[in-house]
Amino acid sequence: MEEGAHHIAQHPLPALLVLWPLLCALFVRPLGRWREDVRNAFVAVATGVTLLGATALIPLVGAEHRIASSIPALIGRLNFTVDSYGMLFAVFAAFMWFAATLHSLDYMEHEHARDRYHITSLVVLSAMLGVVLAGDLITLYLFFEILGLVAFLFVIHTETDKAKQAAIKYFWMTVLGGFALIGGIFLTYALGGDGTIGPLPMDQGTEVLRWVTFVLLLFGFGVKAGMLPVHVWLPDAHPVAPAPGSALLSGVMIKAGAYGIFRTVSALFRPEVAEHVEEILWQQTANFGLVVLWIGIATMFIGVTLALGQHNSKRMLAYHSVSQMGFILCGIGAAGYLGDHGAMGVAGGLLHVVNHALFKGLLFLGVGAVVFRTGELDMYKLGGLWRRMPLTFVFMLIAAAGITGVPLFNGFVSKSLIHHALEEAHEVHHLLSLDIAEKIFTVTTGGTACSFIKLIGFTFLGKPKREYGPEITDAPKRMLAAMGLVAIPIVVLGIRPHIVLKGVFAPALHTWGLHSDLLDYYLKKYFLSPGDIMAVVVAFAIGATIFVVGMKYGLFHLHPPKWFGVDYWYRRFALGFVSTCGTITSLYEGYLASVSRAVRWITLQHKSGWSRTERRWRRFILTITTGAPGPRNQHFLQRAYITLERERQTTVRNAITMLDEWMRSQPDFDAARRAAAVEAVRDIAHYMATRLFSQRMGVLKDLVATDEIDVLRDGFDEAVEQVKAFRTTVAHTALELAERRLAGENVLREISARVNNILSEERFDVRLRGSALGLRAALTTMQRMSAQAEYRLDSRMRDASVGMHDALHGTEARIHRVGAQAEYRLESRIRQTAFSLHEAEERLERRLRDATASLRTTVPKVQHLGTGTREALPHAALFAEMQVWGLGRLEQAASWLYPDAPKVVATRQRIQRYARDMSFNLAIIVVVMLFFLLSIAVRIPS
Amino acid sequence: MNASLTSAIIPMAVFLPLAGALIAVPLGRISENARTIGLAIICGVTALCSLLVLPGVLDGTVYEIYLIRLTPQIWVHLSVDSLGALFGATVAVLWLLALIYSAGYMAGGHRLGRYYSFFMLCLSWTMGVAYAGNLLTFLIFYELFSILTYPLVVHEETPAALAAGTKYIMYILIGGSLVLVAIVFTFFVAGDQTLTPGGFLSADMDPTHLLLIFWLFIVGFGVKAAIMPLHGWVPDAHPAAPAPFSAVLSGVMVAAGSFGIMRVVFQGFGVDLLRDMGVMPYLAGVAAFTVIFAAILAVNQDNIKRRLAYSTISQMGYVTLGIGLLGNQAAMGALVHITNHAFMKGTLFLCAGLLIKRAGMHNVSEMRGAARRMPVTMAAFSLAALGMIGTPPLSGFISKWYLGLGILEVNEPLYLIVLLGGALLAAIYLLPIVYAAYFKEPPALKSFDESTDGREAPATMLVPTIVASAMTLFLGIACAMPGLPVSLARMATETFFR
Repeated sequence: MEEGAHHIAQHPLPALLVLWPLLCALFVRPLGRWREDVRNAFVAVATGVTLLGATALIPLVGAEHRIASSIPALIGRLNFTVDSYGMLFAVFAAFMWFAATLHSLDYMEHEHARDRYHITSLVVLSAMLGVVLAGDLITLYLFFEILGLVAFLFVIHTETDKAKQAAIKYFWMTVLGGFALIGGIFLTYALGGDGTIGPLPMDQGTEVLRWVTFVLLLFGFGVKAGMLPVHVWLPDAHPVAPAPGSALLSGVMIKAGAYGIFRTVSALFRPEVAEHVEEILWQQTANFGLVVLWIGIATMFIGVTLALGQHNSKRMLAYHSVSQMGFILCGIGAAGYLGDHGAMGVAGGLLHVVNHALFKGLLFLGVGAVVFRTGELDMYKLGGLWRRMPLTFVFMLIAAAGITGVPLFNGFVSKSLIHHALEEAHEVHHLLSLDIAEKIFTVTTGGTACSFIKLIGFTFLGKPKREYGPEITDAPKRMLAAMGLVAIPIVVLGIRPHIVLKGVFAPALHTWGLHSDLLDYYLKKYFLSPGDIMAVVVAFAIGATIFVVGMKYGLFHLHPPKWFGVDYWYRRFALGFVSTCGTITSLYEGYLASVSRAVRWITLQHKSGWSRTERRWRRFILTITTGAPGPRNQHFLQRAYITLERERQTTVRNAITMLDEWMRSQPDFDAARRAAAVEAVRDIAHYMATRLFSQRMGVLKDLVATDEIDVLRDGFDEAVEQVKAFRTTVAHTALELAERRLAGENVLREISARVNNILSEERFDVRLRGSALGLRAALTTMQRMSAQAEYRLDSRMRDASVGMHDALHGTEARIHRVGAQAEYRLESRIRQTAFSLHEAEERLERRLRDATASLRTTVPKVQHLGTGTREALPHAALFAEMQVWGLGRLEQAASWLYPDAPKVVATRQRIQRYARDMSFNLAIIVVVMLFFLLSIAVRIPS
Repeated sequence: MNASLTSAIIPMAVFLPLAGALIAVPLGRISENARTIGLAIICGVTALCSLLVLPGVLDGTVYEIYLIRLTPQIWVHLSVDSLGALFGATVAVLWLLALIYSAGYMAGGHRLGRYYSFFMLCLSWTMGVAYAGNLLTFLIFYELFSILTYPLVVHEETPAALAAGTKYIMYILIGGSLVLVAIVFTFFVAGDQTLTPGGFLSADMDPTHLLLIFWLFIVGFGVKAAIMPLHGWVPDAHPAAPAPFSAVLSGVMVAAGSFGIMRVVFQGFGVDLLRDMGVMPYLAGVAAFTVIFAAILAVNQDNIKRRLAYSTISQMGYVTLGIGLLGNQAAMGALVHITNHAFMKGTLFLCAGLLIKRAGMHNVSEMRGAARRMPVTMAAFSLAALGMIGTPPLSGFISKWYLGLGILEVNEPLYLIVLLGGALLAAIYLLPIVYAAYFKEPPALKSFDESTDGREAPATMLVPTIVASAMTLFLGIACAMPGLPVSLARMATETFFR
């Protein structure tokens, strides 16, 4: 662990300090609902107590160097460890919070949602203390995220459009920073860290991994710190918050980022704390320090340049926050670069943290007071306010003196410390770049001076503007008290920096194994030395020059083009990213749509083909189950035999019936004669019918043998129906010949002749084939027509569905294009489209129905077109129907086809089919069971 | 807890809900309230049972209960270890919340008897999945709950719901068949299939067989766990189903697939064997793709439930990633994430249901200014959304933390990009909703249903939502407490990675 020889004393204070404001935040809303003034007193006391608690840390840390406490929460415990650095941050944060809260009591009078403001303030205070008192990286990350996310409510507090835009930008930058930070923290584990804030082992992880970790941590913290190039949220966010909120955002909260960077450089990426550390081990720290140093230099210079162009005084102050963070980073970087000789860098950077908190806080509070009275933020529109608001003017002057580094004010000390650290860094390796950095540093201090000449000059000095008459008085007492409270340490630290340098930094530096005697050296040799004072004079000279030149040539009103700032590119990138997501989504959904369209197309295209296949398949199954073609012939012949046999018997019966009828009209016949007549007729009819029967069967057998069974089956019933007509012929013949026979004549030859006549007349084979062929032709036409109709229907359906789909697709594309602005219209349009789609669907369905109906009506037409016999046509229609509706109606059709043996055949077929289905299922189950049992059996021996 | 009591408690947790399914219809005939109270009691007892086994499990006991003997070798066998106990407790608690919520949400709906019966049936079978002691038992319960979910998916009986149901059943049946084949195959190869921490498959078996079994299992369970490209049913089924069922569907049913993968990977194959086989990096790769791609698809979804469904796919990708990395901490993160995600996504769906039911807001673009009308709902939503992103100290952070440590433990730092990228995308698809609800002006023309006026829902719906949301906070802040997911997950993974 990093504490080396030092013992860490346990004390509950750090944890209590973090929890206390959180606890207080719970009461704000109920109190605020009850009475505003009680709530105000409560928050003032709450922050006051926090301040007292933070000050109570001073003796504790002084005695023990490090104190720790922990709360059982999250992963294991939340650990808090306080060393002198953390204590310094905690004390000034609590102090500024108390002052800002005091100021806000009056300031918030003209704002809404005051309870929300105070709750936010207390939660953020807790988070801020959590960050600076955190004893490990998880705790640090936890509070850092809470700080960032909850402070969002500060930024968006006024809920104006500007505030919302700024808040969104702030929020996403914070979220991104948070992800970078957690990524960096994860990677410290990869580098062998254990989550404590202490030196990472030097021997683990590759160089690349170290750099990645460092950069992630740097950016993670840097976003909050307003570091270049991720500062873009800061100039937008700080000015839109209510003034005390701005003071806290700019004065205190960005220091959480600085704190993080400080810990990264000086605690994580450094060699183990020991009495003597090899110079070479500091090399890595030096590299990282140089990076931070240069980022600091760039931040301070660009920050101040942009600040010079601002009208809005709060925005200008926000840019100065960026710039001043550059100073702090520069100090921290120099400290890292100098390794164990970095005392001046550390002290300069951290002292500037405190100083900046004080004077920037005071500046925001002062500007807030001005806004409170005048409602004006544009400094060019103000003037001469020093008469109206003398105390505010004095406080602002003190703060400006602090930030510009006037001797005897606090900024002077920290800036000269940083300057000396920079010079010292230059001394080590005489890097040219550090020489340049030092020059930029000087110019920047000049720019800062110029800025505040502008701010004070335009706001308080100059000709009083007519709009602001005597009704403008000085700020309310509580505001003044708050400002006065902050002004005191600015002066005190300017005159006696020893308090902090000797009291806080010397022991802290010692704890972390840095040479603290450099601070003594500074205080003796450089503090208020003529050289340093001259540097300030030079800075003011530069500042005055810039001011004069700038005013003369209107340089302060120049605005660079939009694309010049990184902000613009970030926005482009973010929007591009979201729209890329949109493109990916629409590509993906387009892919899904095209797949489903293709599937539908294929289905439609092959629907007829599919049903044909299905029919064939069923016929195949039928063949399997009911027998192969050979037995089928037999079947047919058997059936034909039954039919023809019945025909024969009917013929005989018919003759006898006719005889009976005839005889009833002949009353003179006696019984004996009647019997004889019947006998004769039966004999003759029997003979004839049998001949006919055998002849017909012969014809059938011949035809079956030539393998035309299908044709025959189609035509057979028809033919049988036709030959029924010959029953009467037979009957007449029988009656006629019976008379002759009864008369004693031998009619055998005559009978044969008559039979031959009938046979030659009926031509059973021709009839059979003719009717079949006619049926065939009709059927072919029918099929052709139905195929055409089906095809036409298909294509129409396909067109319709494709059209529907295209319409849907087009609408989708339009939805994307129109975007959020037309949400309402779009919504209604979608609804309309959906409705019309629905309609189209309905219409399609209706059309489909019509088409089906017209298909039905084509059937009768086909009847007329058919060339076969008239009787064949209903069969064709029925057969077509059967084709269309599938074999589901096979039983029906079969029963119709064989009217004589319908029930038996149908039932048998049903049973066969059922048995077949069941047997397939059973077979599958048996196979699976066998497989299963086999697997068991295979395993059992082993 | 003594043995006889446990032997009663565990089957009770699994089979008591069946009684609920039986009485749902008769009780409904008496009155709606009677049914609600009756079922809530049964569900509550189930949840209580599932929580009562936790102390014993934390002591390291594994409860074994043998129910029916199917063949001389195979029993239907319940076994409660820390993995199953954690999943079982998650299931039962979330189900209880969703059931209470249903009382308000489904009120006045059609065919409530069917809804509640199947709701309870599914609870029973899902508990069975959690407590299954061998693969066959697992399969029986898994198939039962997968198939019996269908009536709940199509409950609304709109064309969209029916289509989604068809899609669902197709996917699930195919996945289930693959699992069946894999299990038969496993039995053929290994004979035994009792789930044990070291796995019952060993390296001396035919590597081709092992490979085949592995991928059959992964694809089979992957359908349920919504691993891309097997996720097709998820974005359709969620918007179609009623909100309380969406919550459990997303919260635990999808997770049941991941749970199955865990069972097979850690207790079927075992860590060492999988390391030798070298297949897990592929699984991790697919999971990483799922995390990112599903999140990208979520960004532009306007239908809120659809957006949340894609989010589920992405978050389940994290779980699969955690399994695929084959590291102690990563597996722990995956396991913890199942529970954490269940409550976070449960909250989000319950809130979405409230927005739909009370204010008729189906789409993200309609949600401007919603927080002014429904502050509590939106607060719960925001908390869960932040949790989903992984903001500390919410529960989502805990699982991401362990996953992150796991990624580093197996020395694959590039997966950190997936971990954080997925979380960033979650921020991109969830936070604009929160922002719009709080800070955008509500549309002037929006007309609300007169009976609700877009105001806050009654307590029956609001309380479960708040409880689920509070779980997000509780499981984050107090995650180190014994008995909570982290401790159970640690126990489980320690046995796997011995």
